[in-house]
This record gives sequence, structure tokens and C-alpha cells, in this order.
Amino acid sequence: MTLFHFFNCAILTFGPHAVYYSATPLSEYDTLGTSVKAASVYLGTALVKLVCLATFLKVSENDSFDPYQELLKALIGFIDVAGLYFALTQLTHRNISQNHKFQAVGLGWAFADSVLHKLAPLWVGARGLEFTWDYILQGLEANANLVLSISLAALGSLMWLRKNKPKTLIPIIYACAAIVATMPSITNYLRRGLGWHFPKVVGFELFTSLVMAFISWQLFSACQRPSS
Amino acid sequence: MFPFKSRQPQMLDSMYSMIALVFILVACVELCDAATVVDVYRLIQYDISGVPFGSRLATLNHHAGSLHFTPGADLSRTVVIIPIRELNITFVKEYITQRKPLGGLLFLLPQIFDFEDRGATVSEDQVHEKGLMKTVLAELEKLLIHANIPYPVYFAFENDDIDTVLSDIKRNDATGQPATATTGGYKFVVSAPEPKRIASPTITNIQGWLPGLKADGDPNQLPTIAIVVSYDTFGTAPALSVGTDSNGSGVVALLEIARLFSLLYSNPKTRGRYNLLFGLTSGGPYNYNGTQKWLRSFDQRLRESIDYAICLNSIGSWDNELWIHVSKPPENAYIKQIFEGFSNVAKELGLEIGLKHKKINISNPRVAWEHEQFSRLRITAATLSELSVAPDILESTGGLSDNRYFVNETAIVRSIKLVAESIARHIYSHQGENIKVFADDSSLAVNPSYVKSWLDLLSQTPRVAPFLSKNDPFVMALKKELEDHAHEVNVQHEALDGMFTFYDSTKAKLNIYQVASVTFDLLLLLVLGSYLIVLFSFLVITTRGLDDLISLFRRPTSRKVKTA
Repeated sequence: MTLFHFFNCAILTFGPHAVYYSATPLSEYDTLGTSVKAASVYLGTALVKLVCLATFLKVSENDSFDPYQELLKALIGFIDVAGLYFALTQLTHRNISQNHKFQAVGLGWAFADSVLHKLAPLWVGARGLEFTWDYILQGLEANANLVLSISLAALGSLMWLRKNKPKTLIPIIYACAAIVATMPSITNYLRRGLGWHFPKVVGFELFTSLVMAFISWQLFSACQRPSS
Repeated sequence: MFPFKSRQPQMLDSMYSMIALVFILVACVELCDAATVVDVYRLIQYDISGVPFGSRLATLNHHAGSLHFTPGADLSRTVVIIPIRELNITFVKEYITQRKPLGGLLFLLPQIFDFEDRGATVSEDQVHEKGLMKTVLAELEKLLIHANIPYPVYFAFENDDIDTVLSDIKRNDATGQPATATTGGYKFVVSAPEPKRIASPTITNIQGWLPGLKADGDPNQLPTIAIVVSYDTFGTAPALSVGTDSNGSGVVALLEIARLFSLLYSNPKTRGRYNLLFGLTSGGPYNYNGTQKWLRSFDQRLRESIDYAICLNSIGSWDNELWIHVSKPPENAYIKQIFEGFSNVAKELGLEIGLKHKKINISNPRVAWEHEQFSRLRITAATLSELSVAPDILESTGGLSDNRYFVNETAIVRSIKLVAESIARHIYSHQGENIKVFADDSSLAVNPSYVKSWLDLLSQTPRVAPFLSKNDPFVMALKKELEDHAHEVNVQHEALDGMFTFYDSTKAKLNIYQVASVTFDLLLLLVLGSYLIVLFSFLVITTRGLDDLISLFRRPTSRKVKTA
């Protein structure tokens, strides 16, 4: 029944993306093109990140937490933000409202991330006879990632696409964006530096993703009030 | 609406090939990356005149269970894992003799029996404990070898991984739930090829010839003394049959005796007027088939020149008493002479030696001792052994408990002294004189480190004859060693008697998987399905409103209203 397990983990990992697309008005306004374009921008960004990592990072023998290397990885992580900026601002989308634009971009981004990072381990590992909890935890991680990507896209659209923002909220927006952008480094530090186990790390990711989603939702609606 | 409608036929083709590829990939479910992989050794599979014995299957793919199963449970799809320490021989006997269905058997041997584990240090009480286990193992082996078992039987050594697995299985069994597809547990998988018959197994006899000093002008053939040892083994698990005592001790003794006499004979002044013939024969467990074929290949002159032959069988774990087994009656003059010679030397060495007479029955094909093959051709011969009774067929031929730890080098060294000294006194006609040819602290002393190093090598080499190829490295090593000592070495390859048929596949790897039950998967599917539904409803409510959610379920009716 190992293919069954693979199927279960697959719907946990990729199901929410499909559900999000069909449940929200995104499906009505046919924003699939935007999501696909965002996914391809993610692929390009991943390639650039790979090249930078290969060039600048040195391979450590032991699995310890090296602050300098982690700082470098965080800096390279900002290429992600640059990619998102490109996807949000530079690509020509059809006439869709800003509200739906960031959701579509975030969705496409998260879907590409899940496929690239989670599909191969799932295919190779979950089909074996041996049972581990890893793939279910990985699916939960993909869910958290989806929420984080959409919040980051929301904050990004606030930063770059909305011109009139209340002055007081601007630093908060930038701070939240910075936190969400450095999420991968934080989880890495938790796993390697503090030695947290995988379930604990996934729990932390889920919690922070919900918190950040709530905060960015509040910010978004707060910024929307003056214009409406 | 779809910009690629014009390219549809090509799209369909590529889609079909994609689907085909997906199906192929799906078909090969990988069985690698198991939690634990253990080396296992299969029970021997052989036929005697077409009657099958041993374990007839090699592939294994069943759930694991321990001895703590609920009585009356169906074990036909379970592999029962039994550590030898807790062996319940009645259970095994019941299942095998009554031919009850079983998925498979896995016996766990204590780590001490692992000859490949060189780092193991042995404590005194461990050796004592293993002594108790010897009798248990011997009984188990006898049962397994003479039974026809239609499922796979494997042996493995205890280690930490498999111990944790076993304790887990015992715990699960104690709750009364045997492991099946619906309740999870451990799955044992051995993917071994179908055991094939070994076509024309060869037995290899090695002989070494040390010529004596022939006086000038003497036309007669010098008399010969033969020392013969059979070097191959037969055991429950052929990959583990090292037979340190039966008959590794004999092989070591022969090599050392050959070395000593080659030193003596290297100088013409000390060369005796007897030729020496050393024989390393194969096919011992199978009624000394190899010896018979070897003797048949002798020409008449050589056969007539043999004064007597001494065969060595299991001389490694005795304390104070050895036996000389003969087939000619003890009143025979030659036998008397040989026995007296040995007794004199034995008295000097401080050990006892007894004479046992066993008549041969020509019509009975069973050959219990190697000297009987000589006696059937009217050559005087005797076997020196620590065993007082003739072993049954396939008994005392190097089983699981015939291990390095139970063999005593000093016993072998004393046996070597006994044999070498007795033969030397016969050759140089010093019978009854108080002269030691191979005295300690002389250049002809028995070399204990030579004995030890060869014994260590033998106790790490399984030597079941059908599984030794013609140019097996060990056989070549024996030949080379004998060439160092003897003047002329010949190797004879023969086919093993057609009565015995053997099957291969003796070693495999066991993969142990921890599997989740089907109920778990179904439960997970249920949970995930409800999670996705809840997520869907939540998103619809927050983004489109509750009315939209309700309208989703009323869509068919609303459409009817629209069309009407």
C-alpha cells in the first residue's frame, strides 16, 4: 500500500494549492496565466540562486551552524524577493485587480516551490515499503509555505504597487516583509543550530505562517481603507 | 479560447507517451532503503537419490512474528524469528514433522558464532554458555537436515538492529495482535534468485609425495606410509560450515606433519627408507567419496607398497583420550604393531589411547570412517579421532557449533606430536626406544604458531564441496602449501557421486521494513479529505461569502431555472 501513502502525501502537499485556486474568486477571473508566469519566474530565480550558492558557499564537513555561511545564504535568499518583485511589477498581467494579482502570484510561486523541492523526495521516498512520518511533515511544511508565500506577495504588492500608504504603517510593512523573507534562514538555524527535530520545526513554521498571514491581512485591509 | 488547439494531435501523442512513462515508473516500486539490512544464510537444500531435504525456497516476503504468538494463530504468512537462546525445540519439531504451514523461519545465532566478526573478544562464561548451546544446536541441526521443509529457513547473527526489531515484534505480539497487512508491523523481505541445481559438482583431491631414500642397486619399491585427511565440510548452513574441528584440525595436523617430515627428508642423511604420501581428500561427508575415487586412481604397485595409512578426523577438542578406529580385527599383526607404536608414544606424552574395532559390511554403502575405504581395498589403515563412536551420515561434519572457540590448539599440537613421533619411530625402526625425533626446543619441534595461523584460516573458510569451484582459492592455497613441503603434488578433479544433488543460493540479504497498516492509510486519507473540504469551505466563505457556498450545492437546480 505504498503508492497509497504516496497519493496521500501528494494530496497533502499539492491539494491546498488547487483548493485555494478553485475556492477563491481567482478561478472566476481566470488568473491561471498569472500563476503560471509567476511559477516560471520562480524557476528562473531558483536557477540564479543555485549558481550563486555554488559560487560563493563552501561545503562544510559537519552539519553545524556556521553564522557566516548562514548570513551568506540569507543574502542569497533575498534574490527570492527580487524575483517576486519582478513577478509582481514587471510582468504584464491582464486587467486583474491588485487584490487578486498578489494572490495569483503568491499561489504560482508557492506551487513552483512545492513541486521543485517536494515532488522528487516524495516520489523516491514515499513509495518504498518503509514507513516514516517525514513525508506527512513535509506536506504540512508545504502548506505553511503556501501561506507564507501569499503573505509575502501581499506585503510585496503593498510595498511596490500601492502608492499611497499611511506613513506609520510603512516601517511595519518593511519589517514584516523582512521577517517573512528570512524565514528559510530562521528555520535552518532552528534545525541546525538549536537542534530542533523536524516535527517541532514544522509546528513552528505553521504557527508563524498563520501569524504572518494574519498580520499582513490586517496591514492590507488597513492600507485599503483610505482609498475606498 | 485555447491557443494550442491547432497543435492538438501532437499534444495527444506526447501525452500518451507521458502516460506510458508514468505507468512504467509506477510499476517499479522500489524496495530499497529499508530500515535494517542483515546478512542471512540459508539452510542447505539437497537431494539424496531424488528425495528432497532441507529448505526448498529462498525468496521471502512476509510479516514477522515471534514465538509469543497466540496459540492457534495462522502462521502460514508469517516469518517466525527465533533466537537460539530461547529455542523451543518442541515447537520447531512440531511444525516441521507435522508439516504445518509456515511463512518462514529465521534463527538468530549468538554473535560469538560469527566467524567474520574478528573484533569479538570472548569471555569465559560466554564460552561456557555456548557449550550448553552446542547440544541444542546439534539437535536442531539434525532435525533440519533430515527434514523436507517447503518454506525458507535462514540463519542470522544477533546484532543491535535486529535485537531492537525482535523486542518490538515481541511487544506487538504480546498485545495479541499478529502482524498482518491491516495492523502494521515489520515485514521481512529476501529477494534471492530461485535456487538452481548445481550441475556436476566437483571434488578435488590433493596428494603430496615425499620420496624416501632408495639404496643404490635396490630394485624393490620402497614401502609407503600414507597420511590422509578429508578437508571439506557439510553443515546446516553451507555458508557457515567452517568445520574447525571436523575436519579443520585434521588438515592443520597434516600440513604440520608434512612440514616436519619435509625438514627431515631434506637432508639425505636423515631421509628415511619409507615414502610418504599425504592426501587431502574431498567428499568426506558423502561416504568418503573422494577418498574412494582417489584410491581407485592408484596403480597396483603403489597400492601394494602402502604399509599402512593413518587418517585423521576431529583431533581438536579432546582432553586426554584419543581413539584409533580399525576395521581389521585387533589380533592382526599389523594392527598390533601400529597400536603398540602409538601407545608407547602416547604413554610418553601422557595421554591415553584406545582401540576400537568396527567391521565393514561390503554390501552397505555407508562408510563411517575414512580408513574403511582403504580397508575395502585391503590396505591396512586406521583413523585417529577424538570421537569414540562412528558418526551417522552427515553428522560431525562441521555444523553450526563447530567453531574456533571450541577447538584447542594444544590438543592439535599433542596429536601432531603423537602421529609424527609414531610414524618416525616406525620409519627409523626405533620402536620402543626412548628417542624423541621431534623433541621440543629442537629444530624439528612442532610449531604452534603455524598450527594457530592455519587453524584461524580454516575457521573462517566455509568448505562445502559442491560450492567449491575447481580453482577455488582455498584449494589452491592448500595445494601451494603442500608443494612447499612435498616433492611432488598432484591435483585430481572428480565429479561427486550422483546420489547427492545440491542447490545454490546460500547467502542473501534480509531487508526489514517497518510498514504501516492499510487502516492507517485509509484513516490518513479520510483526515486529509476532510481537511481539504474544510479549507475549501473556509476560503469560499471568507472570499465570496456564505451564500456562494450554499449556491455551489444548488447549482444544478439554478441552471435548470436559467435554461427554462
